[in-house]
Amino acid sequence: MKEKTEFLEREYKNMLERGETWTIRDLNGPSQPHVVVEGKKCIMLASNNYLNLANDPRLREAAKKAIDKYGAGAGSDWSIAGNMDIHRELNEKIAEFKRTEAGVTYQTGYAVNSGLIPQLAGRGDILISDELNHGSIIDGVRLTKADRAIYAHSDMGELETVLKDAEKKNYRRTIILTDGVFSMDGDIAKMDEIQKLADEYGAMTYVDDAHGEGVLGEGHGIATEFNLEKKIDFQVGTFSKAFGSFGGMLAGSEMLIKYAYNTSRTWLLSAAFPPHVAAASIAALDIVEKEPERVKKLWDNTKYFKKEIESLGFDTGNSQTPIIPSMVGDSKKAQELAKRLYDEGIFCLAIVYPMVGRGKARIRNQMNAGMSREDLDVILRAYEKCGKELDII
Amino acid sequence: MYTLGFLINPIAGMGGKVGLKGTDNVLDEAVKRGALPLANLRASETLERIKTVIDKYHSDFPVKWLTCSGEMGEDCLKKYGFSCEVVHHCKKVTTADDTKRACKAFLKRNVDLIVFCGGDGTARDIYDVVGDKTPILGVPSGVKMHSGVFCVNPEAASEVIFAFTEKTLSIGEAEIMDLDEEKYRKGEWSIKLHGIAKTLSEGNYIQSAKAIIRGPSEEEIKDEIADHIKEEMEKDTLYILGSGGTLKTIGEKLEIDKTLLGIDAVFNGKLIAKDVNEKELLSLLSKYRKAKLILSPIGAQGFILGRGNLQLSSDVIKRIGIENIIIVATPSKLHNTPFLRVDTGDPSLDKEFAEKKYLTVLIGYHITALRKIAVPV
Repeated sequence: MKEKTEFLEREYKNMLERGETWTIRDLNGPSQPHVVVEGKKCIMLASNNYLNLANDPRLREAAKKAIDKYGAGAGSDWSIAGNMDIHRELNEKIAEFKRTEAGVTYQTGYAVNSGLIPQLAGRGDILISDELNHGSIIDGVRLTKADRAIYAHSDMGELETVLKDAEKKNYRRTIILTDGVFSMDGDIAKMDEIQKLADEYGAMTYVDDAHGEGVLGEGHGIATEFNLEKKIDFQVGTFSKAFGSFGGMLAGSEMLIKYAYNTSRTWLLSAAFPPHVAAASIAALDIVEKEPERVKKLWDNTKYFKKEIESLGFDTGNSQTPIIPSMVGDSKKAQELAKRLYDEGIFCLAIVYPMVGRGKARIRNQMNAGMSREDLDVILRAYEKCGKELDII
Repeated sequence: MYTLGFLINPIAGMGGKVGLKGTDNVLDEAVKRGALPLANLRASETLERIKTVIDKYHSDFPVKWLTCSGEMGEDCLKKYGFSCEVVHHCKKVTTADDTKRACKAFLKRNVDLIVFCGGDGTARDIYDVVGDKTPILGVPSGVKMHSGVFCVNPEAASEVIFAFTEKTLSIGEAEIMDLDEEKYRKGEWSIKLHGIAKTLSEGNYIQSAKAIIRGPSEEEIKDEIADHIKEEMEKDTLYILGSGGTLKTIGEKLEIDKTLLGIDAVFNGKLIAKDVNEKELLSLLSKYRKAKLILSPIGAQGFILGRGNLQLSSDVIKRIGIENIIIVATPSKLHNTPFLRVDTGDPSLDKEFAEKKYLTVLIGYHITALRKIAVPV
């Protein structure tokens, strides 16, 4: 019997039973530290809006003006008739901000990784990838015919072993791919060591800095943090997180950018994002450059929260950034903690076994420059109350 | 609602502390030497934890327990307030026969999972009845736990059982290992691969920014690995295929009748020898100039050589050459294999492995990962 669409319901029910479906929650208003989630007032601990720019009046104003000038949509792909001067302005701004020769936006960060990586390597090449890299890198890598080697998370000994082995096989190209900041644990890639190994073994480097932009290197990202702006071959980023707007970006040499947009199927086969998105992104980069105190505030909050939650007795794992996990251990406990924190008006995400290893369940907390000391204290008090009730601390 | 079979081998683990390395045929001696029951303790720890979590977080626990009378399960379940149905009444002094009869009763009632407290011997007895029909989960309570069905400790077992009732786990494979205790007591290793059972596995997850999404299934990944091996197979090279589920899939891809537990040989796409012993391997290796060996880690400790495949003696490995060994494993299997263990019985060969530090493992189509090598010290 040939199967038709009945499989959809069957599979969906299976996912539902396994708890693998998403419960989509509606925010009744903008994304900012204080949000309303389906009628309930909450402090937001689960958004990537690190610099609190998503609802900044200057981004809103820039977007509105762009709508008045350019309209609501771009009308076409960038490659054909959808590239407006405001898109070009943003591309130039990316290069300036990233201190590279050139830059270009993609529709999303996912579109950069899934569209560009397959154009960089093929049969006879090797892609070397950190085991905890983001799914969009994994997808991009899967689309190539290159050999792929995975090294244990941030394990430079393993990375060097892979590079040594690869040397014997005479690959044409070797590319090391890594996230800049790892989104589950909030730790930073050892970019200096990775670049050194890459130089030693003739490899290229590819970094997705989605969670590092607006955070590291005074907001410019991991390349600036490690003084590698001219060294990293492929710098990928996003406007959808700290920069409060939307869309992916690529920065690097002029040749890279020309090659990238002429070959990436994702770039070529989707429409340009609307002009007001570009306008908001330009405004965001301006603010990050002109207001270093914003990044500083994010780090002040990060340091305070990390110190205080640790002194409450929570382990924060390997966190080095505004992504601060609070380790709970037991999955049931983590789910219960998230539930009770929500009752206390804290919106956060529990991550449990088997998503993470047994006994490594946690809540992932994400800091925001717009949070006041008082907000953080409210969160910490809730953690203390619920943590004690549940015998975690 | 899930139906779980639960059984305790009350004498498991008793040989260990009194230096008997197991209780096969020597229980009286173990008791004389003052051995205490370990399995009931481990069972208590597991059930107590489940009970605590249910009480504390009002967690759902949609489980119906089927078990054996008295100390083989009933007493312990009742102690922690779990209602249960006794499906097998044991003799006063329990034996392996009770384990087997209990499993037959579990099968008759179509249990979803069998949880047992015991060691390798208990796992073997259960496997002999249930085969790969029903997943098995071991709470480690024996002297030897080489089989892949064991959790690391009772705490882990309770978390796995909860995750099972929430359907977040997949069904994977695990090797059942069989050690000849008579030989072992005389200081001789003789572990055979006894069978491939079903157990619970974490599956293959992909991290994303927001959470983690489920990746391809275990079967798809084994198929990918097999595709890779088939495409990369070189002409005029003898391929020696080890045992286990992933190797079996490779056999299917090559359209040969590969044995599940034995070691087979392939040349230019044809199966030329099945279930070979050491002597046959050496004679094949003298006949064919170039040879490669494909292996998968076996059992709870992740042995690639020295347990369950003694045919692959040090002489055989030396003829093949370490550089011609290809290791295959699915990512979820590798996830639970922190080390690839080697014990060839030849210290100089073990040293050669140790000096390599890592072996490369094929975990998908043109995808590799590294694992550290561990050798006996």
